Amino acid sequence: MRGSGPTGRSVLGGMVRGHWRKLLVGAVLGAGHQAGEALVPVLIGVIIDRAVDGGDGASLVRWLCVLAAVYLGLSFSFRWGAKAREDAALDAGHELRLRLVGRVLHPGGGAERGHLPGALTSIATEDTRRVGSVANALVLGVSVLAGLLVGAVMLLRISLTLGLLVLVGTPLLLWLGHLLSKPLERHSAAEQERAAHASGVAADLVAGLRVLKGIGAVPAAVARYRRGSRAALAATLRSTRAEAWQTGLTTALTGVFIAVVALIGGRLGVQGEISLGELVSAVGLALFLLGPLAGLAWINAELAQGRASAARVAAVLAAPPAIPGGAPPAGPPPTGHVLRLRGVAGEGLRHLDLETTPGEVLGVALTDPGHATELLRWLGREADPPSGAAELDGVPLTRLDPAALRATVLVAAHDADLFGGTVEANVAAGAPDGADLAPALAAAGADEMVRSLPRGLATPVGERGRSLSGGQRQRLALARALAADPPVLVLHDPTTAIDAVTEARIAAGLRALRGGRPDRTTLLITTSPALLAVSDRVVLIDEGRTVDAAPHHVLVERHPAYREAVLS
Amino acid sequence: MTGPAEQPRELLPVATGPRTRAAVRELIGPHRALGLAAALTMTAATAVGLLTQPLLGHIVDQVAERRPVGALTVPVLLIAAVAFAHGIGTALGLSLFSRLGETALAGLRERFLERALRLPLARIERAGSGDLTARVTADVTTVAQAVRNALPELVRSLLAIVLTLGALAVLDWRFLLAALIAVPVQAHTARWYVGRAVPLYAEQRVVTGAQQQQLLDTIGGASTVRAFRIEDRHAARVAERSGVAVGVTKRGIRLLLSFYARLHIAEYAGLAAVLVTGFLLVRGGSVSIGTATAAALYFHSLFNPVNAALVLMDDAQAAQAGLARLIGVADLEPDADDAESVGRRATPVPGAAVTVSGLGYAYQPGRPVLHGLDLTLAPGERVALVGASGAGKTTLAKLIAGIHPPTTGAVTVVGDVGLVTQEVHVFAGPLAEDLLLARPDASGPELLAALERVGARAWAEALPEGLATVVGEGGHRLTATQAQQLALARLVLADPPVAVLDEATAEAGSAGARSLERAAERALEGRTALIVAHRLSQARSADRIVVMDGGRVVETGTHDELSTAGGVYAELWAAWSLSRALSH
Repeated sequence: MRGSGPTGRSVLGGMVRGHWRKLLVGAVLGAGHQAGEALVPVLIGVIIDRAVDGGDGASLVRWLCVLAAVYLGLSFSFRWGAKAREDAALDAGHELRLRLVGRVLHPGGGAERGHLPGALTSIATEDTRRVGSVANALVLGVSVLAGLLVGAVMLLRISLTLGLLVLVGTPLLLWLGHLLSKPLERHSAAEQERAAHASGVAADLVAGLRVLKGIGAVPAAVARYRRGSRAALAATLRSTRAEAWQTGLTTALTGVFIAVVALIGGRLGVQGEISLGELVSAVGLALFLLGPLAGLAWINAELAQGRASAARVAAVLAAPPAIPGGAPPAGPPPTGHVLRLRGVAGEGLRHLDLETTPGEVLGVALTDPGHATELLRWLGREADPPSGAAELDGVPLTRLDPAALRATVLVAAHDADLFGGTVEANVAAGAPDGADLAPALAAAGADEMVRSLPRGLATPVGERGRSLSGGQRQRLALARALAADPPVLVLHDPTTAIDAVTEARIAAGLRALRGGRPDRTTLLITTSPALLAVSDRVVLIDEGRTVDAAPHHVLVERHPAYREAVLS
Repeated sequence: MTGPAEQPRELLPVATGPRTRAAVRELIGPHRALGLAAALTMTAATAVGLLTQPLLGHIVDQVAERRPVGALTVPVLLIAAVAFAHGIGTALGLSLFSRLGETALAGLRERFLERALRLPLARIERAGSGDLTARVTADVTTVAQAVRNALPELVRSLLAIVLTLGALAVLDWRFLLAALIAVPVQAHTARWYVGRAVPLYAEQRVVTGAQQQQLLDTIGGASTVRAFRIEDRHAARVAERSGVAVGVTKRGIRLLLSFYARLHIAEYAGLAAVLVTGFLLVRGGSVSIGTATAAALYFHSLFNPVNAALVLMDDAQAAQAGLARLIGVADLEPDADDAESVGRRATPVPGAAVTVSGLGYAYQPGRPVLHGLDLTLAPGERVALVGASGAGKTTLAKLIAGIHPPTTGAVTVVGDVGLVTQEVHVFAGPLAEDLLLARPDASGPELLAALERVGARAWAEALPEGLATVVGEGGHRLTATQAQQLALARLVLADPPVAVLDEATAEAGSAGARSLERAAERALEGRTALIVAHRLSQARSADRIVVMDGGRVVETGTHDELSTAGGVYAELWAAWSLSRALSH
């Protein structure tokens, strides 16, 4: 149940309320601009009528001045009105983006559920921008309606018949065009999807280029892409042909409409009911009104898109946290840092018991590596176990504020992300300001590697550390966790991408850095024998149950399952 | 390990302006007749459409002269006829035009992708993989959208402008002169705008990219951000990047708005001049009031195409930049500095599957990572490469697989080499299609047999739609172990006589690694194999172990020989088996 959180409607409402001043300025000035545009054809008619027809020079000058004043007004209104609405749209998008990121980063988590990171990023960029654009579309809608109103009044003042003809005719014309193009639109959306798919295939093949080269599959990939590209071309051609006929149809219908207006207007003119200038104005207005009316259709589409985007943004904002909040810490913070699990179960884990002693390096070996992820999520309170008790110094984790818990317990995943920036910024991310990074780098076996980088600690690691190899990334992530120096450190498989010699060095370094300090507890969740061998004790979890806790060499002797999981 | 971070970036080439234009001509060349038909149809359609204004002027004349109502029938019917001709002509012209554009575009993207896939990996690595990815996604999209949306509109607008000016001249040449008063203002405005917009849009692309990257970083790494409690720092970074992007976008909008303001001046100047000309000509008796009306209506109808053409210049410019980047790659010689053509001419040692002689390699001149290496692999032999990180194992593996050309010396391989690296990629689409890339003519049972051999058949058949299940980006997510098994199944299907395995088991976790080792062993049966061993268990089961250190071979021999020889390997083995000693 997501009842209380924001909805798409409330996201849009909040945006309008938050920026009403700029939106109002935009709407008023926008209306002025549209009214000015409607006056231009009217004034052309007036000048033809009053000045050109009679050869009246003074009148010409006078009316050209009026036209100049109209231009000045419409240009000014357009410029400052558009600025106000565009600024409001961008600011609103920016604010919403920050709100969304704030929700994603909230210690309670839960916002990522059901979204791939790429999809969530696109909500944070594209959807927030589109919600902002709703401000634009709303203001434009008001302006366009004002333009239509001015045009309508002008036409009705010229002639009731002609006015009604244009006012009924233009929407009818657009509706007709819309009706005729509807099946085409549906068609074309499907076709464009196929075309987009072809470009997705290209990007996917390039992303897998090493794999293709590795097995000599480049010719097969080229042939496959060519087939896809040709199919996409055929689809695109069908859709562009449909669009071309739609454009042609609209052109023809508009022309016929103008002919009808000219016929009726001409008759009225011949009969002396309207002046020559009014006839010219009416034809000009009929042509002009098509613009704002077509604009309304565009605004409608934009609003529909904006509503859909607002709903997507709201769904993320309203996502319930993955865990209940927990009370703020009562009394002095716990000191012993004893982590205890009692009968914890869920997601394939059936009965987990373990308890750390202060200053211990505790190995945790799971015979099914798939279970480790869930255990990590519970220890870091990304989720709570369905049953059993997890406690820190006797306080259930569920009663601890997740952010406060993480100040004591740091869970470092084996595939932890690096962030853009330098090596130094990454390693220092969780460390106190001005901390010495050298011991952590040395313990993580990253010191030599960092020295070999072109600019040492100042080397940029690229987007998410992509310019480094897997082994380099893993060592930096480990150094970062060690540099943070948390009271309780949980490390998950920190050496999977690292060679045996370096792994042995890391095991010794870890032991030296964390071991034997009564205020520091370390959990190593791994099946790496090198790491388990330096642990004080190892908890063996087989088939989802804690079966024993003893030093590595003892478990090796006692349990075939341990030997199978840990030693090949 | 020699990370790509050590190498200087050398972006892929971008075609010059003249070369881009020549390439476009080459693409359109085969469709010259189609292009001619499109141009003629569009011109004719636009010209016919311009008959409307004089016909309206004619009606105005009839009204001015108080002719009977019947005199209106013919011009009104003509306007309707013109409308139909204009509509049909426009539809035909646009169809032909987009057929031309889309066909040329398809040719370009196919040529581009083929060249891109055939580029030597070393070249792509020097450029950074982001360069090629950006071209295949952003640039292809930009060019395609320009061809689909901007180009037809631009052509229509330009035709409308040129022909309308012509029509004004037909009414009276002095109307044309009056209308041209607006041109210097417009030309100046356009130059003023482009001069400022191009660098601004370049800046906008950069800051938008930075914002996107920050969001990917922060959102993709959200759980790490939470674990280290650096939420505030990341929120501040996002706020800063987004704020900068919004600021630059606002500057762009301000520029565009003052551009429009200047166009309004041009509009007014031109319209006033045409009206004054009409006034003078009507007073002088050289044109009728209807003709003056037609001229004013012509000029008023120019506003939209002129604005559209000037704004579309933006899109055209972006498309041209994208096109230059696509053609830059499409023009690359496919085999330039490709390993397959370099350093493979040495005479193979008789009876050897792989011969490496005097091999040296440097990512950067003067900093060699391999020194005069000699190595032969007998057919069917399984050799494990062992050494600490940075010893040059991966580089040697890449050279043998032909990814990099040797700097000195030579590599000779009899037959194809298959390479499986730690970089696993699952191709988007049905699982069977992924496997078929390795052997396009494989039958269903052959695919299943390959999966069976690497221990993947059970889970593959258990997928929601079996081998037809869509996997990869946007499809069913495979685990790291499954993806790696798939890579091995591809190797089985490609069936190369020589295979190189590098870190193929690293990312699957310790327990997964062991099951993958068994799968790799089965996949390598019957092949000459070089295995970069990160786990010494892989080395122990090999026929021969080659130990590398500092870019040189320091020991070779079997496990039993080396583990007791007291050398580098013995030391490695001691470190590895320290924790295992009790069980063996």
